Amino acid sequence: MQFFDREHLRSIFTKPTNYINTNRGKEYYDNLYKKMEKRLNELKAQQPVKEAEIKFQELLETWELSRRDFLKWVSATTAMLMLPPQFEPLVAQAAEVMNRVPIIWINIQDCAGNTEALLRSASPTVDELILEYLSVEYQEVIMAAAGDQAEENLHKAVKDFDGKYLLFVEGSIPVGMPEAFTIGRHPKTGVEHVKHLAEHAAAVIAVGACACFGGVPAAYPNPTGAVGVMDIVKGKPIVNIPACPANPANITGVVIHYILTGELPELDSLLRPKFAFGYRIHDNCERRAHFDAGEFVEEWGDEGAKNNFCLYKMGCKGPFTFNNCSIVRYNEGTNWPIGVGRGCIGCSEPDFWDKYATERPLADSDIQPPGLHGVEATVDEVGLGILTATAIGIGVHAVASAIAGKKDETKEEQ
Amino acid sequence: MYQKVKRMTKTMRIFHWINAFSILAAVITGFYIGHPYYQTLISEPAAYKYVMAYNRLIHFFAALLLDVVSIAIFYLYFASRFEKPIKKLIPNRQNIKEFWEVFLNLITLNRRKNFDSSHLDSFNAVYFTILHLLLVWMLLTGFYMYVQGLESGLSAIGSWWPALLHLATDWVGWLLGGHAGVRWWHHFTMWIILAWVAFHIYYQVWRTIFWKEGDIAIVFGGYKFKKVK
Repeated sequence: MQFFDREHLRSIFTKPTNYINTNRGKEYYDNLYKKMEKRLNELKAQQPVKEAEIKFQELLETWELSRRDFLKWVSATTAMLMLPPQFEPLVAQAAEVMNRVPIIWINIQDCAGNTEALLRSASPTVDELILEYLSVEYQEVIMAAAGDQAEENLHKAVKDFDGKYLLFVEGSIPVGMPEAFTIGRHPKTGVEHVKHLAEHAAAVIAVGACACFGGVPAAYPNPTGAVGVMDIVKGKPIVNIPACPANPANITGVVIHYILTGELPELDSLLRPKFAFGYRIHDNCERRAHFDAGEFVEEWGDEGAKNNFCLYKMGCKGPFTFNNCSIVRYNEGTNWPIGVGRGCIGCSEPDFWDKYATERPLADSDIQPPGLHGVEATVDEVGLGILTATAIGIGVHAVASAIAGKKDETKEEQ
Repeated sequence: MYQKVKRMTKTMRIFHWINAFSILAAVITGFYIGHPYYQTLISEPAAYKYVMAYNRLIHFFAALLLDVVSIAIFYLYFASRFEKPIKKLIPNRQNIKEFWEVFLNLITLNRRKNFDSSHLDSFNAVYFTILHLLLVWMLLTGFYMYVQGLESGLSAIGSWWPALLHLATDWVGWLLGGHAGVRWWHHFTMWIILAWVAFHIYYQVWRTIFWKEGDIAIVFGGYKFKKVK
């Protein structure tokens, strides 16, 4: 019988979770290695799509990054992609041929925070360098071209690299106000713009919480009808790299994976790469011991805060948020929100602004999820109401019963 | 004249108290997990004391006992040799009439009593079933949140367990709008169960007083008394 077929049962009980098998056996990795080598050789044979004169090694020197810094980055990235150490040379080569893959980066309804996070930090990182080195054909924030010239560049890039470029989208899509973000002399609405570029792309990468799930612009009452890229683009591979801003390490991770395999990495049910969004930040939090111990910060700046106690009571959303910030951190591992003593706001989860992003614990917050208004505060109020109503009902019934009981007794006596 | 009537077997009484104490433990620890209102004052390193961890442990054990006992009770609904509650749940004419008569007895403050009170009545059978449906709801929402901590897809008892939990509960997240929604409903359902408990205790005490049949003793000794005219 088909139902009791071993393979069928196996498929039922191995429903996709975020689990990533980090040891798939020698044969698998040997085949993967060959496949990646072949792909890299093909890419090497190609001319860099744009800045042919830039040599990667020279670029490293310009940025005062030593070979050693680069190799450290290679090890970290290989580990992040959950590949065994023998893949390090391939990852290094992939970084060096990244300028063979054309990129178009557009900004819709956003604050350019993801671009900022990538480009503006005190000291440049290899991740930032690589994004500079990528053949970015169009990027509204950093490109030199303006006006007609910019439009022409975009038009030319779409024509030249039809079906080959990676489209990065930053910002949510205002479907309720489609005329927003209509720019230039040959205007398309923001929605049309994304759809058009996505249609000609090899894959779409949504960067940041806004592009993934609507983010802050989609927060109640969402005046522009903001949605994520995956809600309007159909029939193209899409990767979501949420967080506010998206971690540069995760962006380069996805790109490196694409360079190495020509495919996108394994994704979870919200289209987030599993290598980055496979665990809750709570699972790897440096303050986790204090959570288990019941040691909480009670008030900003109290003794608990000075001793790095758990921020759960201050509204930390770490237990509900999938992201690797507790491992990778930001600004080349310098720090992250919880490290500086404030709770996680769950920025890599859908609808985070309405459901999570308050500095109060879930139990105290009067934020507005769909359905009933308010969260635990209202639950407790309504619940206490139900309990009070029950108690009152019981009381009324009991008193009435007692009176009725006396009447009965009187009757019997008579 | 009173006649002694057996109403609960030893197993049923054990199940009743497991349920009662598990619900109590789950409510107390659940309040703490939702909002940790006290914290340890012992100045030991975090690695030696586990206030939240113990609260979660007790909460999960209470849930575990409730789930296991509920499965046994579900089985006994159909297969008990003592009495089969399912027989009182079938909405046939006799059961609907009995449900209505018990309800009228309650709201008319025992002015009419046209049913046989020496057996499980339809009103109580429905009421207990509601509790078990609420517990199933707590199970689904609870496991939805529980499996978040097993996102590696591995567990102490094998990878089949998280996979099974995902299979059984992922739809709950879809239905209620993700973690925040599930958490809200898990918390809210607790209040409904508390209201259930309040009515249950009141009703049993009320019956004891007004029917004068010693109903409250059922859950301790297993027997009540029926007036024989």
